[in-house]
Amino acid sequence: MSPAARVAATPAPRLVAALVGNPNAGKTTIFNALTGLRQKVGNYPGVTVDRRAGEMRLPGGDVAEIIDLPGTYSLVTVSLDEQVVSEVLRGTRRDARPQAGDDVTRPQAIIAVVDASNLARNLFLVSQLLDLRLPTVIALNMVDVAEEHGRPVDAAALAEAMGCAVIPVVGNRREGIDQLGAALVRATPSPPIAFPIAREMLDEESRLAAILGDDGPSARRLLAVEPGADLDALRARFEGDIEAARDRLQAQGIDPAQEDIEARYRWIDGVVAKAVHEPEHRRRTTTDRVDAVLMHRFFGLVVFALIMTALFTCVFWLAKPMMDAVKDGVAMLGTKVGASMAEGPLRALVVDGIFAGVGAVLVFVPQIALLFLFLAALEDSGYLARAAFLMDRVLSKIGLNGKSFIPLLSSFACAIPGILATRTIEGRRDRLATILVAPFMTCSARLPVYALLVGALIPNATAWQQALVLFALYAAGILAAVITSLLLSRRLDRAHRSSFILELPTYKRPQVSQVLWQVWTNTRAFVTRAGTTILALSIVLWALLYYPRLPAEQLARHPTAEAQQAAQTEHSFAGRAGHALEPAVRPLGYDWKMGVGLVSAFAAREVFVSTLGITYSVGNTSEDTKDLAQAMASDRRPDGSRVWTPLVAVSLMLWFVLAMQCISTMAVVRRETGSWKWPLAQLAFMNGVAYVVCLIVYQIGRRFFGG
Amino acid sequence: MNTSRAAGDGLAHTLDALAVGRRARVHAISGDSHVRRRLLEMGMCKGTGVEVVRRAPFGDPIELRVRGYALSLRAEQAALVLVTPEG
Repeated sequence: MSPAARVAATPAPRLVAALVGNPNAGKTTIFNALTGLRQKVGNYPGVTVDRRAGEMRLPGGDVAEIIDLPGTYSLVTVSLDEQVVSEVLRGTRRDARPQAGDDVTRPQAIIAVVDASNLARNLFLVSQLLDLRLPTVIALNMVDVAEEHGRPVDAAALAEAMGCAVIPVVGNRREGIDQLGAALVRATPSPPIAFPIAREMLDEESRLAAILGDDGPSARRLLAVEPGADLDALRARFEGDIEAARDRLQAQGIDPAQEDIEARYRWIDGVVAKAVHEPEHRRRTTTDRVDAVLMHRFFGLVVFALIMTALFTCVFWLAKPMMDAVKDGVAMLGTKVGASMAEGPLRALVVDGIFAGVGAVLVFVPQIALLFLFLAALEDSGYLARAAFLMDRVLSKIGLNGKSFIPLLSSFACAIPGILATRTIEGRRDRLATILVAPFMTCSARLPVYALLVGALIPNATAWQQALVLFALYAAGILAAVITSLLLSRRLDRAHRSSFILELPTYKRPQVSQVLWQVWTNTRAFVTRAGTTILALSIVLWALLYYPRLPAEQLARHPTAEAQQAAQTEHSFAGRAGHALEPAVRPLGYDWKMGVGLVSAFAAREVFVSTLGITYSVGNTSEDTKDLAQAMASDRRPDGSRVWTPLVAVSLMLWFVLAMQCISTMAVVRRETGSWKWPLAQLAFMNGVAYVVCLIVYQIGRRFFGG
Repeated sequence: MNTSRAAGDGLAHTLDALAVGRRARVHAISGDSHVRRRLLEMGMCKGTGVEVVRRAPFGDPIELRVRGYALSLRAEQAALVLVTPEG
């Protein structure tokens, strides 16, 4: 549809307002209060920044569309999020692939969310918003916190000084929300503000403005070398004039970008002096008292370790019964549906392809939802920033960032939520490094495989021995991540330096609605992004194991149903692939059955176990692996030696520690990094390393221990 | 840059050399335009008061109070900020 046609199809032109504010200003709470549950989440085309929009009822019955823009400190772009905010507000976002619901309209008005307890810093963004000359209303949030700090804000004085409406709001109690709507309807374009800029710069500005034939803020933005697609044409045309003006200013000791920012803050200082009565002495706040413990050199680390251990064990321990229930439930449903269908390929597709695939996706959902529940609560409380502060030293030593900690911790459940969580890391370099090492963390899909392999390594292992092996495997994964990150930082540092500039927000009580909303959107993102890949792969895998069919007379030679299935598997495409793969994996100690298992593990690692179950003709045993362990233990090579020696088990374990086997992770990495370059590099690197390590371990081990 | 002199002599120091509990005023910010711009935008303008609140357990990053809020920086970034110690 052409833009014109789309406009024509829209019933009535309605007000589109953007909700803008600093991170931690409580923007989301206000968005929820404004729109209720009438909201939808989309994505800005081409970038992985969520686009949230909702409807708000205005006094008089009209409906306004509210666009919730990502939290940002400035309209001059540093991070991807800020770029989106700036482009949407300036109306310069070029929509590469217009789709319904994805269209990016330039807002006609702005609601600026301002944290009253951190007024000066919050007003910096507002000073840039006012330059846009759109009708602007300030939603003054956290007035209660400002009062507690002994620095109450006079909203009327602030409005007077700013030249726009200021409405005090308490988002979670809906206070001031109706007034905000009324002010939005009444708002008129904000008048230009004369920031106290150095005389010399003003002169250069007006000279440049005359050359440009543009008396808006363009001249100043060009002098300050602000990025922005809307300026590109002017920049290219008047490059010489701009450079000459900049040189003249630099010669007088004026850096235009710095002067622009400092002039805004000089203006802000004047505004704050009128609107806030500063106390003689700074009052000790709740956040100060809490931080005295949580940020303490010693106790801070103790509490951090306790919180993270509790989070981790809770996620695994609470999720376990739910995961079992989901697995059993889907399996039971599959069998029931299967029983009502005639024997044949369709039934096999439904039971072993679709239901198995859906089960493989849903089984992770309880764990991932719980993980996001705890993370959202920690984030909403303000603790995540502290966690990043406490961990930055350790992580920066290995080329990561304090903000990498939570994504990496999440990756112990599943790399996909971990990679999605890297969006909070602003620096592209640190974000990429975190994404690239996240899959080395031992995810829960590896655990069933390890449990099976421990049995092959140490028959009848005690709980302690099992725990020790598992610990070693976790440690091996972390070690691989550390080494990779160190290698990577040499390369990445050439392009981007890492930095750490982080606000530590005041503590807040997490809001239930806010936390649940986070859980819902993130879990949904997992199901739609990873789930579709896993399901599709599961169906492909089923077909590879099912076709081509063994002729009936050959099938009849096998006495039991399980043996028939095993013969069928060997005959299938996957079975042949396993055989074809055998020469390549033999040096690592693997036979064709393990090869089939490794191929199938690309759908999800734990599928390795159930595929081995099929090839060992003990049936599809995903729950009880006792029969499978027995079958593996008694499996012999043609020369009579054991197939599953401890050394083979070690080699396979190392493969699972090191190799990139998860196609859904690769799909998510592609999405988040914007190209196939990184997931493919990851695949080549991780599997290359895995192959070499397993080869060395198996070949050297064989010299010493035989087998 | 004067980084080695003890704080309190009224001369310029880099922010990373300031002891916990000390206050200072921002004098200038060096470094690449990216980090410099971000520090300015976060309110660390010339003349702005800053206070070192604490250091992280391993000595880095440091927590500052700037314009009434808490900002943390790595020592590497704090070293870009030239300050004049106060009181």
